[in-house]
Amino acid sequence: MASRYDRAITVFSPDGHLFQVEYAQEAVKKGSTAVGIRGANIVVLGVEKKSVAKLQDERTVRKICALDDHVCMAFAGLTADARVVINRARVECQSHKLTVEDPVTVEYITRFIATLKQKYTQSNGRRPFGISALIVGFDDDGIPRLYQTDPSGTYHAWKANAIGRSAKTVREFLEKNYTEDAIASDNEAIKLAIKALLEVVQSGGKNIELAVIRRNQALKMFSAKEVELHVTEIEKEKEEAEKKKSKKSV
Amino acid sequence: MRSSGAPELCPAGPGAAMAATFFGEVVKAPCRAGTEDEEEEDEGRRETPEDRDVRQQLARKREVRLLRRQTKTSLEVSLLEKYPCSKFIIAIGNNAVAFLSSFVMNSGVWEEVGCAKLWNEWCRTTDTIHLSSTEAFCVFYHLKSNPSVFLCQCSCYVAEDQQYQWLEKVFGSCPRKNMQITILTCRHVTDYKTSESTGSLPSPFLKALKTQNFKDPVCCPLLEQPNIVHDLPAAVLSYCQVWKIPAILYLCYTDVMKLDLITVEAFKPILSTRSLKGLVKNIPQSTELLKKLMTTNEIQSNIYT
Repeated sequence: MASRYDRAITVFSPDGHLFQVEYAQEAVKKGSTAVGIRGANIVVLGVEKKSVAKLQDERTVRKICALDDHVCMAFAGLTADARVVINRARVECQSHKLTVEDPVTVEYITRFIATLKQKYTQSNGRRPFGISALIVGFDDDGIPRLYQTDPSGTYHAWKANAIGRSAKTVREFLEKNYTEDAIASDNEAIKLAIKALLEVVQSGGKNIELAVIRRNQALKMFSAKEVELHVTEIEKEKEEAEKKKSKKSV
Repeated sequence: MRSSGAPELCPAGPGAAMAATFFGEVVKAPCRAGTEDEEEEDEGRRETPEDRDVRQQLARKREVRLLRRQTKTSLEVSLLEKYPCSKFIIAIGNNAVAFLSSFVMNSGVWEEVGCAKLWNEWCRTTDTIHLSSTEAFCVFYHLKSNPSVFLCQCSCYVAEDQQYQWLEKVFGSCPRKNMQITILTCRHVTDYKTSESTGSLPSPFLKALKTQNFKDPVCCPLLEQPNIVHDLPAAVLSYCQVWKIPAILYLCYTDVMKLDLITVEAFKPILSTRSLKGLVKNIPQSTELLKKLMTTNEIQSNIYT
């Protein structure tokens, strides 16, 4: 039944599905996991690094990109589609700054990206963008924001979310572990992001990339060493928690 | 009375049909539906020797052959007529094959008893005679310690016209009823018809479909209507249903059709069923083997990040 209504983007199926958009969401699942967390004073983006070929320049394989000084995004899905969307968003950020003399709000640029994506779901001859994005940043009012967009062009604000492969598992972990205590301090929020990723990343800390934005500060990408430090801290805490458990049961 | 409005009688020629007019005359009217002339049809239907040759060549090309790989000789009778069988596990597709390779074949000594060689449009080679050992094959094994337990690793696509041949060469025309068949295969989750959106499905997930004579407990939910099974798994199940052989198909719906660790691990509930009882020994070692299999098969791709 699906095959009769899934060739053209502009055709609804009898039960109301836009199959091309749903298939675009499958393309997103082929990208590696990305997780975003909104803390009290910090926003964190964590991604599973893709294994880079031996001769490939690692610097050019990036999942986290800055859109402006105060906004950055992580994506999952088709690399080329992401590049196009990011370029358009970056231009829009600067154009906005020049026109109204104010930096974009996180919600504005998210809406821009979502509108762009939606246009491609209603246009003849074009296919939807095969990416989902997590957009984080601080507005002028100092409030941290996290938004998620998907290929259909919808966007929502989230306290914490994950996209890409195994996003469901990570989201379930976040639902259980995202508490006011867990995001009370910056460090705790960062550790929550890493813990969420460790649920699904296959080789531990060395495959995780992290970026944070703190209020009134620029985007900071963590080096591999810094990530390792946090991972070791998490593992220590786990061990101590297990020791305590075994002591209690003895 | 003279019929005043009678149409002209057109000359009868090839492609003409008979038509009755209002006045009862029979007129030959040109027929766009093609020739209805009996003579013409016979001529067209008669097969030239070249046509017959081509048809026979095509049939030979698409023949399913069962042979012993070492000796390259064909098996004279069907596989299960030659060897007695109590249990037959068939893996169709690369993820199912990887599951059996790591969990079942690793836990015992399996001896190859034959392989099915076949060619169709899905094969990546045009050479039908010299399929190399790295080509997708259907390989049959039996357990050395219990030769009535069989295993089939099928990683090639068996086309519709070849499925019946495959069944005949493997099961024979009058199969025994006291064996149990287990089939494992994968399907893309977008083929799964449900009222929910595919985004909310917990893929990969396992569904089962069994024949009437299969009485053992099933480790996962049964496949609901209107979902159907396709290709070789459907052919085997239909065959077993008709011949009243107890058989069960475990179908894994996944969103990754290439070789994938999470998809293969979705088959794990089957390890506790009676179908695989006694055939799986070392699970941690099998998981390690599976991981190795994944990394060796990984192709670098920059399309998705």
